[in-house]
Parts: sequence; structure tokens; C-alpha cells
Amino acid sequence: MIEIKNLVKSFSGVTVLDGINETIEKGEKVVIVGPSGSGKSTFLRCLNMLERPTSGEIIFEGNDLTKASEHELNKLRMKMGMVFQHFNLFAHLTIKQNITLAPEKLGIMSKEEASDKAEELLEVIGLPDKADVYPSTLSGGQKQRVAIARALAMNPEMILFDEPTSALDPEMVGEVLQLMKKLADDGMTMAVVTHEMGFAKEVASRVMFMADGAILEQAPPQEFFSNPKNPRLVEFLSKII
Amino acid sequence: MEKLIADFKQNFIEEARWEYLTNGLKTTLIVTVGAVILGFILGFLVAIVRSTHDRTGRMKVLNFICKVYLTVIRGTPMVVQLMITYFVIFGSVVFFGSVELTKYIVAIMAFGINSGAYVAEIVRSGIMSVDAGQLEAGRSLGFSYRQTMVLIILPQAFKAILPALANEFIVLLKETSVAGYIGIVDLTKGGDIIRSKTYSAFMPLIAVAVIYLIMVMILTHLVMRLERRLAKSDRN
Repeated sequence: MIEIKNLVKSFSGVTVLDGINETIEKGEKVVIVGPSGSGKSTFLRCLNMLERPTSGEIIFEGNDLTKASEHELNKLRMKMGMVFQHFNLFAHLTIKQNITLAPEKLGIMSKEEASDKAEELLEVIGLPDKADVYPSTLSGGQKQRVAIARALAMNPEMILFDEPTSALDPEMVGEVLQLMKKLADDGMTMAVVTHEMGFAKEVASRVMFMADGAILEQAPPQEFFSNPKNPRLVEFLSKII
Repeated sequence: MEKLIADFKQNFIEEARWEYLTNGLKTTLIVTVGAVILGFILGFLVAIVRSTHDRTGRMKVLNFICKVYLTVIRGTPMVVQLMITYFVIFGSVVFFGSVELTKYIVAIMAFGINSGAYVAEIVRSGIMSVDAGQLEAGRSLGFSYRQTMVLIILPQAFKAILPALANEFIVLLKETSVAGYIGIVDLTKGGDIIRSKTYSAFMPLIAVAVIYLIMVMILTHLVMRLERRLAKSDRN
């Protein structure tokens, strides 16, 4: 589904991603873990070009995003949802408007279709009664569930999650992870940067360990956690578990 | 008391002198509203160029032009700009064959261009105050930079800067009182003409001040109501 070739990203001379080659297949749930500053968020943000790679190729559905025009890029981003650490709900719109804005204004649904879709998604995320309130009145966990619904409204092929539970109070992490697990069970292709090892173990089809701008090790979760090989990974796991 | 009444009659009733004030007020309002519209349009355009340049590095030439505009306008007095616009730039131009109309058009241009510089900085601060995550969220959904700006950033920026914009409107209303320098009879000039005819300063000037004050108070009240409506998304 998405193929990354020799991806390099540097910020004013500091190399953050150091030549990454990777392929994510349709239906995979890739969980990316690693110490902070390892480049995992930058890697994820390069996948939909929120961060412009310094060099390399990102091939999504046969198109190289690094060479796509702005217009093509917008079209391709419509198929690749993103969920942010700080939710980034549109503060001036109601919950329902947050969900309907993109499908309606980008012309993939009529007003009625977008509205129906939003109501359906609000059922899925368990917040049908919040349709007409503004984001500032929701808890962090509710906001993140709405952010996921907003991404889902575009019927994306794939969703990127950038530390979706890191800004949440502990008691709200569960409700968001549960929703993500449901998406995974429904077959969504997902790339998730997270510190939630429980989620990685339970949901991931593949866990990646990143450090110093490179993927040092990757394996199915069982092997990844029970039989780590790279000494950096062994050290990382010993610290967090 | 009788002297006050006599004063009032002399200044406003005799020879229908009150018409200087009402006609002047009309002129003040026309010039202000015209200048506000021009100023807001200019200000938003300049602010969008400046913040787009700051965030993406594009529009280098336009950004430079905008910076020169801001420096010149904010670095020189309004009265001087007004006189330069009328006597130098349009010194030999008459619009639509009417000198009177030309004065109005020049005044609206001069005040609007001046106000635009201040509005631009207000709007830019508003755009910059909207969290960068909002832009990223918009782009990640597939919106273009322009769509994100119009649908997501500007509505939020507008709410944040509404008090400052209203203040600019009020400042402009009062600033047009120098329109007399190019021979426009606005509210201030109208009051001054009465003073020059009756040789009494108290009544006409106080009347002018009170009319400005009432207009400002009405505007302030309207803005407060609008702000309360826009604050909906911050409350339960």
C-alpha cells in the first residue's frame, strides 16, 4: 500500500531520519515504538508529507508523494487519515461539523450523505448525544474519539496515529485504544506511533523499533517482546516493562 | 441658564446651523465606512501574504512589498498621508468630473490605506495565534492551504481579533476628524464652521465631542454583543 525508499529527513543539518526503507501492506497494523527523539513521529509525518522529506521516495498507491503536485497531494491525503497527539479538533465547529466539514467541502459526499455518515460515526464512537456541542466541552478521550471519527469520515485507505494517547489522562487511554482496536479488527490499515506496549502486543501485526533515525528491529509482537535481539531494543524494553 | 439657552439657539437653531453638524456627521460616516471596508480588505490580504510567507516561505516578493507598505504607512502621520494623497498623488486628478466627489474618494482611499496597515498586523497576530495543529489537521484531511485558511484558520483568527478590529474601527472613526485638511466638511469641520460664525466655542465643540462619544459607545455595545455570540464555542 505504501512503500518508503531511502527516506532521509534533516532539520538544519541534523539528520532525524537516516535512509529508511520500508513497506506497509494493505491491512497491516504497524506499531512504531522507540525512545523519544528517535524520529518515529517525523517518520509518520513524512508518510503524508506534513513533513517534507529531504530525500527519498514515498510511494502511495503507485504515486510518489515527494514528486506529486500540491493538487495530487491533496487528493492522496484524502485517502490517508491522521490522528494527532493533541487532537486538533476545529475549535470553531460543533462535533458534527468537525466530522462533516472535509467530506462535504472536498466534494466526496453531499450534505445529507455527510450528515448521515457523521451520525453513524458518532454511534460507533459512542457519542451520539454530543453532535451539537463544541470541542471545548469534551474530555480528552472524547476529543480523540471524535478526531478518529473525523478521519474515518473520509473513508480513508489508511490511518496514521501520532501518539494518540500521550496527551490523555490515564483513565481515558482505554476508551481510545478500544476504538482503535475496533478499527484494526475491521481491517483498517494502520501505522501507530505509541508508548502503549499493551496495545502493540494485542493489536499490531508488526512492531517496529526506531532509534537514531533508523528502524533497528521489527518483528511480530510476540517475538518482538519475548525475543528482542538488538541491544538497544533489549535496553529499551527493560526500561519500560 | 438663560444664557445657555440663548447660546444654544445662536449656535444650532439660527440660520439652521445644526445642519452643519448633521451634514458633517453624514460625511464622517460615509468616509469612515468606506475606509473601513477598504482597510479590512487590504488588511486581510496583507496579513494572509505575510503569514503565508512566515509559515511556508512562499510569496517572497509580495511579502517584501507588504513590508514596505507597513513601514511607510505606520511610520508617517495620517494627516501627512492624507495631504500627500490629495495634493501630490491626485493633485491634478478629478474623478467623475466632480471636485467634491474627488475629495471623498481620496479621503476614503487615504484613510483606508492607512487603516489597512493596522488591520494587517491585527489579522496577522490572529492568524499566528491559531494553533499550528489546526493547519496540519486541515491539510491532513486533504484541504489545500487556501481552503484550510478560509474554512479553519480565518474563522478562528477572526474571533480572537474581533475586539482589536472593533477598536481599529473606533480609532478610524475619530481619525477621520482631520478630513478638514483637504477641505472636506466632516463632523469636526462642521462644528468648527459654526464656531467661526458665532464666535462661541463651547456649544459647537462640546456638541461635536458628544456626537463622537455616542457613536463610539453604540459601536462598543454592538461589538460586545457580537463577541458574546461568537464566544458560543467556548462555553457549554
